[in-house]
Amino acid sequence: MSTGEAAAGAIVADQLVKTFNGSVHAVRGVSFAVRPGEVYGFLGPNGAGKTTTVSMLTAGLEATSGRAIVDGLDVRSDPTGVKRRIGIVFQESTADGDLTGRENLELAAALYRVPRAEVSSRVDGLLERMQIGDAADRLTKTYSGGMRRRLELAAGIVPSPRVLFLDEPTLGLDPQGRAGFWKYVLELRHEHEMTVLVTTHYLDEADGMCDRIAIIDHGLIVASGTPSELKDRLGGDIVTVRPIVPNQFLGQVLEKVPGVVSVGPQDGAYRLKCSNGETLVPAIVAACVGAGVGLQAVSLKRPSLDEVFLEFTGREFREDEGPTATDRAVRVGSVRNRIGGSR
Amino acid sequence: MIRETAALTRRELLRLARNPQAIVTSLLLPILYLLLFGQGFNLGSLAGHGLPPGALTALLIGAPSYFSYFAAGMVGFVAVTATLFIGANVIFDKLFGILKRISSTPASTASIFGARLIAGSIQPIGLAFLVLGLAVGLGSLGLSGLQVTATLGPIGALEIFLAVVILSVMFASLFLAIGFSIEQPQTYFAIVNAINLPVLLTSAALYPWGTMPHWLQSVASYNPVTLAVEVIRLNLFAAAPPYYAYPAWVYLLGLLGWAVAMNLIATVLARRALGPRH
Repeated sequence: MSTGEAAAGAIVADQLVKTFNGSVHAVRGVSFAVRPGEVYGFLGPNGAGKTTTVSMLTAGLEATSGRAIVDGLDVRSDPTGVKRRIGIVFQESTADGDLTGRENLELAAALYRVPRAEVSSRVDGLLERMQIGDAADRLTKTYSGGMRRRLELAAGIVPSPRVLFLDEPTLGLDPQGRAGFWKYVLELRHEHEMTVLVTTHYLDEADGMCDRIAIIDHGLIVASGTPSELKDRLGGDIVTVRPIVPNQFLGQVLEKVPGVVSVGPQDGAYRLKCSNGETLVPAIVAACVGAGVGLQAVSLKRPSLDEVFLEFTGREFREDEGPTATDRAVRVGSVRNRIGGSR
Repeated sequence: MIRETAALTRRELLRLARNPQAIVTSLLLPILYLLLFGQGFNLGSLAGHGLPPGALTALLIGAPSYFSYFAAGMVGFVAVTATLFIGANVIFDKLFGILKRISSTPASTASIFGARLIAGSIQPIGLAFLVLGLAVGLGSLGLSGLQVTATLGPIGALEIFLAVVILSVMFASLFLAIGFSIEQPQTYFAIVNAINLPVLLTSAALYPWGTMPHWLQSVASYNPVTLAVEVIRLNLFAAAPPYYAYPAWVYLLGLLGWAVAMNLIATVLARRALGPRH
């Protein structure tokens, strides 16, 4: 990465590596540059290395090797300087339950040395903005999940950061809560001209809210670009053909259908990339019938990030998850994405 | 740094004020000791069983009664029991992500540690003087009470105040050191229990000095709790030589040594816990 690129980026990661205990390779050489004012998404399943990367960028975790620059400052040599310029919203709730919403924000303001004269107006403004003004003087342990998330966002914004890091910020929120949270983030980003780096495993969030995304898997970025660029790289629509009985010759038959770009096996079915899949389905069905193959199902998908993920990691996003509470949330997100269809 | 420390100290004190059960519990223990143990452990009754005159005062190295001796020792006791929670709070703040939030801000380690040290020392200091006041007051209720037999001047009062402050800071540092290096509350309380009782039982907080075996006296002479309560007893009971070998400031200096050492260890451990993880 050239010096010019490093200077231009609000966040620059250059071959970041994190190895725990000498053997657990959490991040295996991640490089990317986020432009000022951009919303950059880190998309990947649990354990992909998203949070580890964010921790290295926010001076919470020392990188094993590589370099991180945030708002022009080297994270390793000036961690305090970096901390002054950033805001962080963690995936877990970090507000103090024994303090009120207002006290939590006032504490954050003092720790970031927000000018004393501005503290009151800034805190009040944020509380109103996040619709917790009425509960401002209640202990936060009485807050609902959505209110807590909004308070976390407010705490991240209090210092008026140049760069805002959001680590799985909407985890556990209902769809309405997620939409509301993002509305605030995008508004604030415009007003404060902030750069935002968000990690998520909600495909719809990455697709709809981010200017660019990086797909991270097993500690490596496997693809990056704008959501539409990534979807375009799939080469069009995806048609999945599932025969009643698995048939090893079906792939060769399908490859010959005019308009099919490529054919790949997937769990006893075949995954076809093609442009204009809608009009091609009859020809595909006809080819199968002509070859004497009975069909169980044929499905057509417009390109979605789910498909992009499958393309670059070889796995379906939802299948990569374990049975934890967090993972169930991912499944819900993934299913919701499918139900909602692609953009 | 002052602004950050003040804001973090305010946070600790607000949490304390909002937890009245904890305050009541911390008051209850010394009060029960004064009302039950102090009253029941009536060493003075031995005098009626043939103990030569003056022998009791000798056993109690100058104190006029066991209760008076014991009440001064209770100051050491509350310094240990009331600083405990500040280390436990560190662990709960780790578990609830609050420490992660605080250490993600530009606030310095000195502020984060210093605020906890200040907040953690305030309660035992207040409690220590409450115990001394209560012990004096019990005397006027017809119970055994703390009798001050010396003329307590401003220097003596200052020495007592310093002894209480330094002892509280020392134990707050000790428990913060443990809190910053331990992740689980169960482990914390196991370690703290393993420390508390031996520290108190190898000190002169509760035992009459004259009844302790020599080897225990030798150990107890270096115990920080002993050093603090000796400063208090020396000033309350005018118990100069032959009972005390040195003036009060020598004991204070020893106590300060303990506090500085403990504080250094705690600072190093806090810095390690609050800095970037490796």
